[in-house]
Amino acid sequence: MVGGFRWAAMFPDEVWEHVFSFLPADADRNAAALVCRAWYRIERRSRWRVFVGNCYAVEPAAAVRRFPEVRAAAIKGKPHFADFNLVPSDWGGGAEAWVEAMVEGWPHLEELRLKRMVVSDDCLELIARCFKNFKVLSLVSCEGFSTAGLAAIAANCRNLRELDLHENEVEDNCLHWMSHFPESFASLVTLNIACLEERLVGLLHRVPQLVDLGTGKFAAQHHPELFSKLESAIAGCKNLKSLSGFWEAGPTYLPAIYSVCEGLTSLNLSYATIQGPELIKLISWCKNLQRLWVMDLIEDDGLIAVAASCKLLQELRVFPSDPYGAAQPISLTEHGLVAISAGCPMLHSVLYFCRQMTNAALLTVAKNCPNFTCFRLCIMEPHTPDYITRQPLDAGFSAIVESCKHLRRLSLSGLLTDLVFKSIGASANCLEMLSVAFAGDGDAGLHYILSGCKNLRKLEIRDCPFGDKPLLDNAAKLETMRSLWMSSCSVTLGACRQLARKMPLLNVEVINERKRGLPLELQPDNCPVEKLYIYRTVAGPRSDTPSCVWILR
Amino acid sequence: MELELGLALPGGDLIAELGLASEKRTGTCRKRGFDDMFYGATSPPLFVHKDGDDDDGDDDDSRFNHLQELNLGSRVLVGWPPVRVSRRKGEEGGKRRVNCVKVNMEGVAIGRKVDLSLHDSYQALFLTLSQMFPKKQHDGEESDAAYYKVTYEDEDGDWMLVGDVPWELLCSS
Repeated sequence: MVGGFRWAAMFPDEVWEHVFSFLPADADRNAAALVCRAWYRIERRSRWRVFVGNCYAVEPAAAVRRFPEVRAAAIKGKPHFADFNLVPSDWGGGAEAWVEAMVEGWPHLEELRLKRMVVSDDCLELIARCFKNFKVLSLVSCEGFSTAGLAAIAANCRNLRELDLHENEVEDNCLHWMSHFPESFASLVTLNIACLEERLVGLLHRVPQLVDLGTGKFAAQHHPELFSKLESAIAGCKNLKSLSGFWEAGPTYLPAIYSVCEGLTSLNLSYATIQGPELIKLISWCKNLQRLWVMDLIEDDGLIAVAASCKLLQELRVFPSDPYGAAQPISLTEHGLVAISAGCPMLHSVLYFCRQMTNAALLTVAKNCPNFTCFRLCIMEPHTPDYITRQPLDAGFSAIVESCKHLRRLSLSGLLTDLVFKSIGASANCLEMLSVAFAGDGDAGLHYILSGCKNLRKLEIRDCPFGDKPLLDNAAKLETMRSLWMSSCSVTLGACRQLARKMPLLNVEVINERKRGLPLELQPDNCPVEKLYIYRTVAGPRSDTPSCVWILR
Repeated sequence: MELELGLALPGGDLIAELGLASEKRTGTCRKRGFDDMFYGATSPPLFVHKDGDDDDGDDDDSRFNHLQELNLGSRVLVGWPPVRVSRRKGEEGGKRRVNCVKVNMEGVAIGRKVDLSLHDSYQALFLTLSQMFPKKQHDGEESDAAYYKVTYEDEDGDWMLVGDVPWELLCSS
C-alpha cells in the first residue's frame, strides 16, 4: 500500500461494500476491516450478520455500536458441558442484556438465534413488540421462558418464517399458544417445536408450505381417525424436507409419513423409541436423506440397511436409548459404524454412542472417510480399551486425525494415553473443537494439545489428570481460543491466580459448588479447583456471577 | 410411595436412633444388611464432607478429585455419558412430577423434605442435603474429614446405601 495515497477513495463506498458482500466468512470481513480506516468504516456499516460465540466476550452495547446495520444475530451463552449438568444452573447466560441492547440499536433485526441462554418471557415479549420485520426465531437448549412468551411471538410476528425451538426447557402454561398464529400463515416455512406438545393436525392444515417440521410428543394410542387425518395433513405438506419428533408414536403411526419420505433430506427420530425393523422399513423410503438422527435401537443391521439405501447421507447421529445400561444390551457395535463409513461416500459428520470399539475398526473408518469434518465417538464406559486386543484406542483415533485433514470437531472416549494427544497436536491442523473425558496420563497430554492444534477454538476436558504446568506454559494460547473448560482435573487455585494475573484479556472463572470452609479469596494456592472456565473477552469480568463462581483477576 | 432417607455418621447406635429393630431384616433374601453399612463397611463413603480448614495443606490433595469420590461405578458419574437430560429415560413429555422424600439426620430432631424431581443426579441431591444439614464440629474428633452416609429404606423395608442404583431408577421406584 502506497503511503499517504488514499487508494480506498478510488471507488465510492458502495463499490467496496459490494466487494465485501462476497467475503464468505466473518474472519475475512475482520481481516478486511484491519486494512485501513476507510475499509474499517465501510465494512462495519455493511455487515448485517454477526455471530457472538460467547455472550460474555463483548459488551452487547459495544457490538451493537460497531455494526449498526445488523439484520441477523446469533449468540451463544453457557459452555457446552451445561447440556450434561456440569455447569451450575445459575451460572449465567441471561439474554436480557443482549435483547435490550439489540432493541435499542438494531430495530430492523429480522433474525435471532440463541443457544444455551436463559431467555425470559419478558425478552420474548420485547422481541415480539419491537422488531417490526422479525422473521426468524431460533432458541436451542434455552430455558427460562414459557408458552405465554411464545404466544406473544405467535401473535405479533406476522412475517415469521422460521420458528425453531428444540431442546429447550419450556414451561407450558399457555395451552393454545399456537392458536395465536394467523389463520393463513403463508410465511411460515420452518416449525420445530420438538419440546412441546401440540395439536399437530390442525396446525399442518394451516401451514402446508412447511419445509421443516418438528413435532412434540405425539399421541401414543392408535386411533384410526387421527391416523388418517395425520396422513392426509402430512401428505398435504408437499415441500417437507425435514422431519423430527414423534417421540412416543408407536410404529403404527409411522406409515402416516411414508408419503413424504422420498422428499426428506433430514430425519430426526432420536427421541422415538422405534425398534430396528420398523426403522429399517421407514428409512428404506428415504432415499434422499442427508441427515439422520436415530437411537441405537437401529442396531448394526439397521445401519447396514442405511448404508445400502441412503447414498446421499452426510451426517449420522446415533444416540443411546439406555445410557445407564439397566436394560438388556443392544446390538450396536463398531460394525455398524464401519458399514456406514463404507457405504456412504458423502458422510462427513458422525456422532456415535456405543459400548465397544476396536482400533482396527477406527483405522477402517479413517481410511473410508478422509473427508470427515466432525467425528464424535462416545464409548459409554470410561477407560474402555479395544475389546479384542485390550490396547488403548490411541492408534484408532490417531488414524482418524491423520487421515481426516479437514476435521474440525473431535470427541474422544475409551482408554487413551498421552500418545493420542501427541498425534492430535501434530496432525489436527483444522481442529476447532475438542472434547476429552477420562483420558491421558499426565500433563504432557494437555501440553501436546495446547502447543499444537493451531486452529483450536474450544477445548472441554473432564476427569483427566491434567494439571497446572501445561496451562501456565501455554497461557498465550488461551487468548487465541474462545474458551477452555476443565472439570475434575488436577488444576490448583494458585495456577488460576497466576494465569489471571498474566492474561488480562481472559476471564478465569473458578466454579466451586460446595459452599464450605474459607471463601475462595482466602484459600491457599494448592487448593484444588473443581471446575474451571476460561474465556477471552474484551468486556472484562462479568457482573452477573452467582455465588459459586469466582472470576480471578 | 413414601421414601425415607437417613443421614448418619459412622458408628453410633443408629439402629436405636432411627427406631429400627432387627425384625426389619428378613433372613435369607435380605439385601445389604443395615449393620454391614456402618460396621465394617467395605464400600467407600458416599458423601465426603471435607473440613473447611485446608491450611495445613494435604500434599496428596494436589490431585484430589472431588467428583471421583462420588463415583460408585460409572452409573453415578455426573453428566456421563454425555446425553442431555431430556434423553434420559422416564421423561414423560418433559413434565416433572413432584417426588418428595423425608430426610432425617442422626441427632437432629427436625427432619426435612426433599423433592427428588428437582434434582437430576446424586451429586445434586448431596449438595442440597449438605446445605440442609450443615456439618457441625465435634470436639476431639479427627478434623480432616467427617463422613456422612446416606441411606434409604426401600419398599421391602431394607436399608439400602444411596447410590447403588442409577439415579433415574431411584426416583421412579
